[in-house]
Amino acid sequence: MKHDVIVVGGGHAGCEAALACARMGVETLLVTISRGDIARMPCNPAIGGLAKGQLVREVDALGGEMGLCIDRAGIQFRMLNRAKGPAVWSPRAQADKAVYHEGMMSAIEAEKNLELLEGEITGLAMAGGVVTGVMSAEYGELQAKKVILALGTFPNGLMHIGEKQIPGGREGEPPSCGLSDRLSEAGIERERLKTGTPPRLVKGSIDFSRCEVQHGDEEPSPFSFRTGRLVVEQVPCHITWTGEKTHAIINANIHRAPLFSGQIKGAGPRYCPSIEDKVVRFSEKPRHQIFLEPEGRDSEEIYVNGLSTSLPADVQLEMVRSVPGLEGAEIARYGYAIEYDFFPPHQIHSTLESRKIAGLYFAGQVNGTSGYEEAAAQGLVAGINAALALHGRTPFVLGRSEAYIGVLIDDLVTKEIREPYRMFTSRAEYRLSLRQDNADERLLGYAVRFGLLPRGQWEGMIGARKSVQRARRRLEAENVAVADAGKMRAARLLQRPGVSLEDVERLLPDGPLALGKRERESLEIYVKYRGYIRRQNRTAEKFKRMERRRIPDDFPYVEIDALSAEAREMLGKFRPETLGKAARLAGVRNSDVSVLMVFLEKAGAWRDGDDG
Amino acid sequence: MHGDTIVALSTPPGSSGIAVIRISGPDAIGILDTMAPGARAWKPRTLHNRVLRDTGGEMLDDVVAAVFHGPNSYTGEDAAEISCHGSMQIVSAIIEESIGVGARLAEPGEFTRRAYLSGKLDLAQAEAVADLIASETRLQSQVALEHLGGGLSKRITAIEERLRAKLALVEASIDFSEEDIEAYTMADLVAVSDETRREISELLESEVAGGKLRHGMRITITGPRNAGKSSLYNALLGEERAIVSPLPGTTRDVLRERIHIGGFTYYLEDTAGLAEAGCEIESEGMRRGREAASAADLILFVVDAGEGWTCGALEELESHADRNRLLVVNKTDLVPGGGEAAAGSPAGELRTVTVSAVSGEGLGRLREKIFEFTANGEVSGVSRERIALNIRQGMALRRAEEALERLGRELGMNSPAEILSLEIREALDACGEVTGRSAAEDILEEIFSNFCIGK
Repeated sequence: MKHDVIVVGGGHAGCEAALACARMGVETLLVTISRGDIARMPCNPAIGGLAKGQLVREVDALGGEMGLCIDRAGIQFRMLNRAKGPAVWSPRAQADKAVYHEGMMSAIEAEKNLELLEGEITGLAMAGGVVTGVMSAEYGELQAKKVILALGTFPNGLMHIGEKQIPGGREGEPPSCGLSDRLSEAGIERERLKTGTPPRLVKGSIDFSRCEVQHGDEEPSPFSFRTGRLVVEQVPCHITWTGEKTHAIINANIHRAPLFSGQIKGAGPRYCPSIEDKVVRFSEKPRHQIFLEPEGRDSEEIYVNGLSTSLPADVQLEMVRSVPGLEGAEIARYGYAIEYDFFPPHQIHSTLESRKIAGLYFAGQVNGTSGYEEAAAQGLVAGINAALALHGRTPFVLGRSEAYIGVLIDDLVTKEIREPYRMFTSRAEYRLSLRQDNADERLLGYAVRFGLLPRGQWEGMIGARKSVQRARRRLEAENVAVADAGKMRAARLLQRPGVSLEDVERLLPDGPLALGKRERESLEIYVKYRGYIRRQNRTAEKFKRMERRRIPDDFPYVEIDALSAEAREMLGKFRPETLGKAARLAGVRNSDVSVLMVFLEKAGAWRDGDDG
Repeated sequence: MHGDTIVALSTPPGSSGIAVIRISGPDAIGILDTMAPGARAWKPRTLHNRVLRDTGGEMLDDVVAAVFHGPNSYTGEDAAEISCHGSMQIVSAIIEESIGVGARLAEPGEFTRRAYLSGKLDLAQAEAVADLIASETRLQSQVALEHLGGGLSKRITAIEERLRAKLALVEASIDFSEEDIEAYTMADLVAVSDETRREISELLESEVAGGKLRHGMRITITGPRNAGKSSLYNALLGEERAIVSPLPGTTRDVLRERIHIGGFTYYLEDTAGLAEAGCEIESEGMRRGREAASAADLILFVVDAGEGWTCGALEELESHADRNRLLVVNKTDLVPGGGEAAAGSPAGELRTVTVSAVSGEGLGRLREKIFEFTANGEVSGVSRERIALNIRQGMALRRAEEALERLGRELGMNSPAEILSLEIREALDACGEVTGRSAAEDILEEIFSNFCIGK
């Protein structure tokens, strides 16, 4: 049995990777430990959120599946940050986990170049530093030209519930031990990270009347550019709070918390701390917010967002019952912390291919990230690059000024990972341009070029984009009469604070713009932000110049005495692909960049000389 | 090849007869042309005497300039060279004008780098150039550090911290809006924005005084004839410059040399001794000496320990009461008891150092005193915290000032958080050019350490 690409792991990274490969016409095998857990959501029952929503929109514009899946599985939709400016609006939806899994399953089954196999992968097959396949516990060697590892938290996963330690990749699933060890033997460095999840409660045991209600948007916005109007009966979430009583219980049992007893060694995410961490670090805070989120429309389980913990089971129950509305709550599943191996991403290229083992790609939590959306984005990029490599085409690397996905991967290959990496809008220096409303404008061209979308789908998307551009041109060309300023360009009027597109449209001499709701929104944002975006683009230009100067992967940093010692070490470790990336490394100073430029020019001149 | 055009002073900073400013890059000649219309048509490599004017038509200086067409120039690119009068104000004005019309300030070693890159390439040269760039950059930051004593950087760091704290609030309101965290208030942001802008304006105002500190302060040696002023001058310079003779009245002109003490630069001036006018030349020398002293940042008033005070000397000392003065009692080697008498008497509260310029005794103490004057801000007119902006820093701070002005406007219009963030980031970024730190990097750190984040 021989495939072009084997994807190991059927989570959010693995599914997108496998689908992208198959859609680009390469024979793909997706291997998962259990079919029933394809695209499972082991933590939050939600997709999107701040900065993550933008990632999903980008994945969708690139032909990924996540947006379509959540549009089908969503049971509550909200556009976050509506009170802020439109550049930071982020879609988020509560997901019916079972429906999400089914949606992804049927997408995979519908793909003709994609085969799904249940099995455990225990090692790699390699020849001369090049991957040639994987070793399966059940089927022996499975051959492939490219292998994508999307292992999630499975590599040497170790779960903690109080003093109890259970080897496992997720609740109820065994860990993957052999593969991580084999990678380590092949010279791939690995380190440990930690993450955690809260307990799930039995829905019927909760007194929701004691909680605040949180509803979805009245008019839900879909994630996918390919979804028309969403028709969905939405389900509410509920909000309650911890209090002094809860904190007292935690403090009294803090010696039994693996996080504080020294039992957990891996670093956890500071933006998603456990409740015991919050109570200890922010002891002055009298209460912490808790969101009660359904795991599905008909699910009997409620996710207790805000109460992530690895305290012992008896303490979890006591703690839960100290919260208003949860006095009689029953725990369906206990919260736990999990430690797992990841492979620090200074060892990969921006294509997500390993530097050490050619043809091997890493995507998702194995790169030290956290989040379904971050995983999906990487899976997609790894899949596209594996397929491009098989076709002998130029690799696909998105820039920081182009997409959140570009920011994500650039951060991975230029920063030390000290905690699970999560996307934030503040990481994106070109945030005003990287909006959820224009992901199609930014990225659709790639999807078309790579063949990730069927013509029927991208034609509709391009049509919508063109209608926005036509309307934009009209606003820039047509004059409108304004009481206090005589005649002025419609676009200028729209730039005024407090003036809406509707206000301007009424004044247009050639009548209203023929645009759908989403397109109107996108147009209005564009015009209102144009001045700011232009300013931001000027910096982006400088940035792009630095990005265009490539550095050979085998550049002999150690031989350049003029580099500072710190710069030499960081450059040697990360081996940046461009001068821009080099300049972003911690410890690399301006003088070091200047020195590099001198040597790069020299190398460039030599190359030119050889050609001539 | 490099795209942009750079400008910099090529001669050492400080007052001198002539200063040479070099412009290199595709727009070099065009930039000179805006200041000296017609320069585009000049015959290359030929000197032209012209009056440079800024875009407003104001005269910058009367200069000699030449243009060079690449590759026949030092850098191999199109280039222009301007020899102007060697005052730092003139130099700054010409450089800023060049920047205003499209050049950018050269980085350390950049001319050399460009020269190298357009010339022949071999490994040894590459290494030599790389070493040069690295050492120039390091030296510059080292010198900056010494000169500034960390004062400016401390001030700007405080500004950065304040802005960063506010940016963290604004960013947290965007990235963690779903969570129960402290929100920023418009009033609070307005207050910080105004305060910071005021502070930056102050720093920018100190630029002139700062320039003096950076490019050298004047120390004038004066005092009665034959008190050993020239000996002291030479002793401080560490070499023979002034004509020293046991005969009184040997120094007639004002002599000037640059010295460094504790990382600061000074122009040390030796003047003719003060006495009843004996002849024409002598009195002309005295007039010049008085003139120099009246403009000095610090006067070293030298008296002979053995001679003590004469009425004329005391009168002379008092006539400079508006300057910073240091009494130097010289020739202690010739007087048993170290000239206590001379030091103690009519000079009153004046700070006094006893030295022997000949034996070198006390010179260290004198240097320390001069340094103290400077460090306390008495000489420079600026305190150590309000110190010394060079052109690059001045430009960066102006950029910060502009960003804060825009921030003020946006706050007035109730603009959304990401626009406020854009301006605060720009201000921080500009400050970072002075302190050498990247601003945005630390924002998440700031958020995580201050807020309880995470549902």
